[in-house]
Amino acid sequence: MADPAATPPVVEALHIDHAAIAYDAEPVLTGVTGRVHAGEVVALIGPNGAGKSTLIKAVLGLVPVVGGTVTVLGRTPAAARRDVAYVPQADILDPQFPVSVAQVVLMGRYREVGWLRRPGRDDRRIAAEALAQVGLAERARATFGTLSGGQRQRVLLARAIAQRPRLLLLDEPFNGVDLVSQDALLGALRGLKRQGTAVLISTHDLALAQHVSDHACLLNRRMFGFGPTGATLTPDLLRATYGNQALELHGDQIVVAHH
Amino acid sequence: MHATLVEPFAVPFMARALTELLLLAGLAGVVSTHVLTRRLGFVADAMTHTVFPGIVLGFLTAGVDGVLPGALAAAAVTAVLLTLLTRSRRVTDDTALAVLLAAMFAVGVVLVSRRASYTADLTSFLFGRLLTVTTGQIAQTAVVAGLVLITLALLHKELLLRAFDPQAAAAMGYRIWLLDLVLNLAVALVVVAAAQSVGTILVIALLVVPAATGRLISDRIAPITLAGVAVAALSGYLGLAISYRASVSHGLRLAGGATVVLTLVAVYLLTLLAGGLARAVQSRRTSDAVA
Amino acid sequence: MRPSRRPIAAFALAATLTAPLTACGDNTTAQPAAADGGKLAVVATTTQVADFARNIGGDKVTVTQILKPNIDPHDYEPTPADITAIGAAKVVVKSGIGLERWLDETISSAGFKGVTVDASTGVKIRQGNGDEEQKDGDPHIWHNPRNAKIMAQNIEKAFAAADPADAAIYQKNLADYSAKLDRLDADIQAKIDKLPPDGRKLVTNHNAFGYYIDRYQLEFVGSIIPSFDTSAELSAKDVDDIVSKIKKTGTKAVFSESSLPPKTAEAIARQAGVKVVAGEDALYGDTLGPQGSAGDTYLKMAEHNTDVLVQALGG
Repeated sequence: MADPAATPPVVEALHIDHAAIAYDAEPVLTGVTGRVHAGEVVALIGPNGAGKSTLIKAVLGLVPVVGGTVTVLGRTPAAARRDVAYVPQADILDPQFPVSVAQVVLMGRYREVGWLRRPGRDDRRIAAEALAQVGLAERARATFGTLSGGQRQRVLLARAIAQRPRLLLLDEPFNGVDLVSQDALLGALRGLKRQGTAVLISTHDLALAQHVSDHACLLNRRMFGFGPTGATLTPDLLRATYGNQALELHGDQIVVAHH
Repeated sequence: MHATLVEPFAVPFMARALTELLLLAGLAGVVSTHVLTRRLGFVADAMTHTVFPGIVLGFLTAGVDGVLPGALAAAAVTAVLLTLLTRSRRVTDDTALAVLLAAMFAVGVVLVSRRASYTADLTSFLFGRLLTVTTGQIAQTAVVAGLVLITLALLHKELLLRAFDPQAAAAMGYRIWLLDLVLNLAVALVVVAAAQSVGTILVIALLVVPAATGRLISDRIAPITLAGVAVAALSGYLGLAISYRASVSHGLRLAGGATVVLTLVAVYLLTLLAGGLARAVQSRRTSDAVA
Repeated sequence: MRPSRRPIAAFALAATLTAPLTACGDNTTAQPAAADGGKLAVVATTTQVADFARNIGGDKVTVTQILKPNIDPHDYEPTPADITAIGAAKVVVKSGIGLERWLDETISSAGFKGVTVDASTGVKIRQGNGDEEQKDGDPHIWHNPRNAKIMAQNIEKAFAAADPADAAIYQKNLADYSAKLDRLDADIQAKIDKLPPDGRKLVTNHNAFGYYIDRYQLEFVGSIIPSFDTSAELSAKDVDDIVSKIKKTGTKAVFSESSLPPKTAEAIARQAGVKVVAGEDALYGDTLGPQGSAGDTYLKMAEHNTDVLVQALGG
């Protein structure tokens, strides 16, 4: 990490200003405003279909921003892709696919390696280190599909870590993940936070969100709140975001009751 | 054994047929792995049908010499249209394919009906002419094989990523449609190249069975590909030898291309069987150990 | 499941099991026609020219016939045995006029170094029906026995050149066979003459009988399959045309060839209310009949065709 005293003011990892995002004519998400700085972890909270994935895709430059702006690392989303990594949900991937864990993590180095060239020894070392960061070094030679769901999710995180991103985007990473893997994921994320990586995690698990993130962004087709978790994950704002869905309060833990 | 496995290939026309098949084994074996990982079996099959109007048009325009360019053009058009159609989120692969297939085949039928006949030159594209393959055709196949194999090798890692995780590939900034177009064109080229020797009707076997057999043996891309190529080459060699021996010694008519494909399928089935037996023995051993 | 070790054994097993496939029948090597006791090795394409070749060559030649009876000569894919035979032959006899388009490729593939005889040399060729396949003309020249004589002469010339030692024998064989052909011609003429002048109308499966019709001055009303290619189908309009022509001209019979399915002929005959001659009694248009049939030699075939025609038209 660069020495803070010697560098000019750090560019925000993410700056969204009254953004509206649309697939076709009608925007599916509007009024999103907020900033994410290096080392901050922001949880995107909202019910299914709220637009969490849409926002992530907009940050990746895969979906058009039809109103307002989305600025990633001081550039347009497309221009910033080199420094942004994405972790999709592991359960959409084919478990029969003939690839090893190590090969999957190495994929994170492809962009850096570039077209026409093959990954070198340095790339393999970086990939191995990334795999170690999620605690799966000993499974490097295993076929990806033979790992548990949670382990596969950790491998995908390792792939993203191998990219050495400044901004990391995770799409529902804790879905159906066992406790051991959950711990490993949280540990790796904390490590990244310490290193100064900005992280955006979409999740509907409020407990986990409170555990790992310091900021929260409430979404349900529009933004209902953006700020430190304590100030944002309040019963009122949550009720507003989730509409009429029942909420339960357990001490300082807020849980959305799933029907 | 020597009479069957070695003698036939001392004859020039058999040696040429074998060379063509070995080239195709290398080409189709590699492309087959991509067909496997991207599940392009249906696409490949569709292309063997959509070349039909291209063949007819080529023949109508330029006689026999027009057949190959016509097939190439049709295959390329299929590849492009397919890529464009599936790029639009609303249309899924299967739907796009069915539409394309029906449309192009109908065009072919209309064209053929306008003439009272279609000749041996057209049917040879459907069924292949293995034994009369010329040195020129072999050179053509070699060029196509070289082109396709080098391209696929250069794009190997990107194609792997796209096949495994298209979302991540898109997120990294790769243009999925461009990678798909390259692969669709590669498949199209193999269809046209192989059609001349084994015919479009049997090409699908060459594009599907090698990697399928490799998949029975391994769960890594490299071994699957190597196994696929080996299986395709072995089947080409054995199929030709069998068809020659049957014809010359027993007066039995076993079409060359079809015999190769049957051998290919036989190797696949034997591998499947052997795998099943091995697993049965293994579990027996395990349960014995436990008992 | 543990990868690598077991599946490789499985593959080796599979490979070993395919080996026995090659074991059957490897005790004989190919017998090319060439070195068969000093006889001239000849390859003939169609059933007709093979018959001529056998008659001219007698026991001085070994004739390998490529096309079997009732096989369509247009779409033929040569087998390894065919190509091997051609490679070993001294003379290849073809019928010509575009009938065997696959032959040129096959001959160059086989590395043939001998002489190719176009049996149609010197025959006056009728115009084709305009199709791509018939761009060289109507290939069914043999149905006129006078053309058959010319074809036999071409074959004899080639045999004599390739095997001068036996030239005298070939000459004699030709003389004998030509006499038979002359007798055949006269026979057919006599039978046809017995038909009433307005009762000589012909509807058959396809225009294979152009030369026969010209020679014996019959009248061709229409064919069921309009082009020479046996795979073309009729449209509804075509069928109506033929049926109305049949009714208008008073044709008495519709003929189906032995190498083509008789259903189409029967359908038209039913609609027009005329007799159908199909199946075993059918005409031999493209090829001779199989061994033991009524048309297994050229001479028998020509007599048979004539008898069938005359009976159907005269009755």
